[in-house]
Amino acid sequence: MTSLTLKRLSVFALPLAAFAGMTTAVQAQEWTPERSIEFVAPANPGGGWDTLVRTMSRVIQQEELADESFAAINVPGGGGAVAWAQVARDNGNPHKLFATSPPMILVPLAGASRYDHTDFTPVARINTDYSIILVAADSEYQNLEDLLDALKADPSLSVGGGSAPGSMDHIAIAGLASAAGMDASAVNYIPFSGGGDAMTNLMGGHIEAVVGGAGEAVGQLGEGSQLRALGVSSEERLGGGLREVPTYQEQGFDYTFDIWRGVMGAPDMPEEAVAYYEDLFSAMLETDAWREASDQLGWIDAYQNSEEFSAFLDQQQEQFSDVLSELGLLRQ
Amino acid sequence: MDAFNNLMYGFGIALEPINIAYVFAGVFAGTIIGMLPGLGPISALALMIPITFAMEPSSGLILMAGVYYGAIFGGSTSSILLNAPGVAGTVATSFDGYPMAKKGQAGKALAIAAYASFIGGTISVIFLMLIAPLLSKVAVSFGPSEYFALMVLGLTAVVSLSDKSLVKGLIAAVVGVIISIIGIDMQTGTERFTFGSVQLLDGIDFLVVALGIFALAEVFYMLLRGGGGKEAPRNEIGSLKLTRSEVKEIAGPIGRSSVLGFFTGVLPGAGATIGSFLGYSMEKRIAKDGDTFGTGNIKGVAAPEAANNAACTGSFVPLLTLGVPGSGTTAVLLGALLVMGVNPGPMMLVERPDVFWGVVASMYIGNIFLLALNLPLIPYIAKILDMPRPLLLSLILIFCMIGVYGMSFSVFDLLLLLGFGLVGLGMRLFGFPAAPLILALILGNIMEESMRRALQISGGDWMTFIDKPIALGLLVVALLSLTLPLFKKRRKKAAPNVAN
Repeated sequence: MTSLTLKRLSVFALPLAAFAGMTTAVQAQEWTPERSIEFVAPANPGGGWDTLVRTMSRVIQQEELADESFAAINVPGGGGAVAWAQVARDNGNPHKLFATSPPMILVPLAGASRYDHTDFTPVARINTDYSIILVAADSEYQNLEDLLDALKADPSLSVGGGSAPGSMDHIAIAGLASAAGMDASAVNYIPFSGGGDAMTNLMGGHIEAVVGGAGEAVGQLGEGSQLRALGVSSEERLGGGLREVPTYQEQGFDYTFDIWRGVMGAPDMPEEAVAYYEDLFSAMLETDAWREASDQLGWIDAYQNSEEFSAFLDQQQEQFSDVLSELGLLRQ
Repeated sequence: MDAFNNLMYGFGIALEPINIAYVFAGVFAGTIIGMLPGLGPISALALMIPITFAMEPSSGLILMAGVYYGAIFGGSTSSILLNAPGVAGTVATSFDGYPMAKKGQAGKALAIAAYASFIGGTISVIFLMLIAPLLSKVAVSFGPSEYFALMVLGLTAVVSLSDKSLVKGLIAAVVGVIISIIGIDMQTGTERFTFGSVQLLDGIDFLVVALGIFALAEVFYMLLRGGGGKEAPRNEIGSLKLTRSEVKEIAGPIGRSSVLGFFTGVLPGAGATIGSFLGYSMEKRIAKDGDTFGTGNIKGVAAPEAANNAACTGSFVPLLTLGVPGSGTTAVLLGALLVMGVNPGPMMLVERPDVFWGVVASMYIGNIFLLALNLPLIPYIAKILDMPRPLLLSLILIFCMIGVYGMSFSVFDLLLLLGFGLVGLGMRLFGFPAAPLILALILGNIMEESMRRALQISGGDWMTFIDKPIALGLLVVALLSLTLPLFKKRRKKAAPNVAN
């Protein structure tokens, strides 16, 4: 079947060759997708990656930024590892992208994926969320120092988070403890099945504090709330419902933590394609539709182009492997 | 009286023509989604977020809630007709629903499921309306110790689910626990029983096992026994009508299971599955004809169906009053609400009463729609059973495969499905009950995680399960439910004439 088609094609090949040479020359400067783009969320519908993929696809379509559509595809499994294994096989495919965030670094470091971030093409960092520390509204801890002092004095005090040990929430609190001069592994981190689960347990008084995503927590704060925030991991104070919450740095703990989100593509994606997506995504960030969606989801734009993103990822890997090895969870 | 005024206010919103249309569209889509295994309410709702984005928040939630409880309502259909539970909450329905269908009472089984779902749904909306704010305290009072105790209580149902041989039932339950352990351990990040396979890192999905050991095993069993379409007796659908004594018989189970289901639904993470199993085993224990459960007893259909629908409504309590999701589905709903600019939580009743009361009122309407929609459809849907057996068997096969593949797009899961089909066949041939395995698979993971979480919080002190009154209470009930049957038996032995 294939050989037949090839033969038939070869009839056209000669006269086309000259023309083809011309088009490639044009494409070298200006690549555009030839078919719809597979935009993979390496998880089930409903999570952070999925929301990013669907929101981006929607805004790009709504604002008519691209001629071809972005098709959202869910490939769940292994905390992302199943999707990564799939994309890694698609060498050079410019029509395949996937959403990414700190697990891209953490899962491979924990030894649970054969592929790490260097196996893929970084396209762009899009936005970021920050880590936040919550206590019950009537808790005796008034600021971060109170809590960290208490943890130092009594290492059995439990801090809940929404993900497994060695993943985002745990790294966020372990890194802070480390910056406060404590042993990172001394934090009694209790993993719950999600941020919501952890917060419910905090409301019920079953644990002392919760570490989680600021965007996820903002709905729980404010008037009449049963929870109170002690600090956020950003460099500067956040806006909206979180503007009263001081940063860690403000309280004398030199530590920041980004829950960044970005887009990566298949290995060895052509440079022209990367350039195309960089332009597309930075244009997308300027639209009102994106602004509106980000505000509602508590996202903060943090665009980086492919090159900057690549350097950032390397630096993240270094930072995370330090914390993980201190926790004894490094497996690579 | 206050609740009444609020409800009238809610009806004012829910009865706007556009919202009536949304309720109808939601429950209709939900029923269909529920009937197809694999396409669960979670993925359906996630796909709907872009549609609801621009809607009025109350309308958006009315629509999405409709899909959710509609799916639970419709989920019983494939359990009853094909022994293929599409969602976890309807597994228990297949225990007696499928035997009823085989006996030629498919129509009656579906009708009972519809009535029980309707009543369970409606009773729980009344609870939601009257005591939701109070219940938020109950929801947070359950920490890891309490969950562990609740799971222990749930597991005692194994005893009533293993009808013939308790030993075989316990073996099945242990296998179920082992399967539930597969994957990355939440507490340490260690891989367990994955044999280096990426596909096993997240564990084995419950649906793969359930469709394998129930539906596929049934197909294999029929093939083995029937040898094709020769004798193939076509199944009767039977009448939909219930006699007065049947109505009387199921009234009690429906009422009790509705209340039980609602309260399990309120607890984040427990939900419809545990509610329906607890409802089923409770009824089996207190029924005089408890030994006919599993062979097509109408109470065995009514109880889990009332419980799972009540639990579905109950799961809105933590979502709407605390802003925390109690299940995967409500997590997606929470995300959708945030996108629409509504912050669910303690202030929602004050800030957005239109959303809260509008949805509560729409649930009354939605449940009526569901009943009106489902009852007339039963004869048509049940026609599936009227096909020649070779066709029916291949249909079940395709149904299971689409269900599993549609969930994960993984060929590996299809092989697992086949494997569990063979395991299920073996279990049937050697008289091992399948229900304890499924129950243990569902509960095992949560039980282990809560136990280890509780111990990690208490610093390894086992007293944490006894110090807490709720945990202690649940454990005592579990102990009683294990020991009371022994006393009963002894009494029976001592005075056989009196007992009979």
